[in-house]
Amino acid sequence: MKVQDIMSRNVQTIKPTSSLRAAARTFSDLNVGALPVVDDGKLVGIITDRDVSVYAIAIGREPQSTDVKVVMSKEVFTCNADQSLAEAAEIMEQHNIRRLAVVNGSDEVVGILTVDDIARVSHELAGGVLEAAIAIH
Amino acid sequence: MKVKDLMTTQVEHITPTTTTKEAAHIMHDQHLGVLPVIEDNKLVGMITDRDICCKVVATGHSAGFTKVEEVMSKNVATCFDDQNIGDATKLMIDHHVRRLAVIDHNNAVVGLLSVDDLARNSHDMASSVLEASTQAH
Repeated sequence: MKVQDIMSRNVQTIKPTSSLRAAARTFSDLNVGALPVVDDGKLVGIITDRDVSVYAIAIGREPQSTDVKVVMSKEVFTCNADQSLAEAAEIMEQHNIRRLAVVNGSDEVVGILTVDDIARVSHELAGGVLEAAIAIH
Repeated sequence: MKVKDLMTTQVEHITPTTTTKEAAHIMHDQHLGVLPVIEDNKLVGMITDRDICCKVVATGHSAGFTKVEEVMSKNVATCFDDQNIGDATKLMIDHHVRRLAVIDHNNAVVGLLSVDDLARNSHDMASSVLEASTQAH
């Protein structure tokens, strides 16, 4: 089975110059925990619900006047839509993460793959990802 | 296998009248995503990094002036430390949550049990919890 068979498509993205408050509203409205950050059609980062709250507050930033680019992760781990699920799970395990941005050859975001998606088709692969993930209790 | 064999026992907690700004600092410094909220030695709620994202940052409130009790979840899913892991897994699935506060028979919080903890014991149990999750990605 391939990434494209189970990934979320039509993923909402956000701009690096959007405010943290706008990002937080998107997380809340769409019931998601992460958004790819896209500039000029290209993936430049990823931002999570934790980045806009815990991290931003901890470094003393005001959500209204702080841009997404200040708190986003610039190192984004990706996979391609035609990779196998086992390969994608391996990338997650290696980097101790639970989500990958799915990109095409031009660095455009075509989807998101989470460990939850993997759990729907393979308990074994998803369990391995969770075991390797950095625990946040 | 019992809950106490897998749970995390080092549990930071917080009081309901603490500010969400302080909660964010604790979550950041201790690398935590959730804090049990305790008043008079009793569990009165749980607050997560996502609560601070969706109920403080997204709504434009100031974390320095918003108390934990204003945004915490009051209906907390709990289990006992001497319950079987299978029971705890079922509780997570039924409540669509990934963490449980663990209490003893005096109602004192003695730990937290997360889906990551389950994965160390059974990939199948952990993945069943992810499958029941309601978050989009």
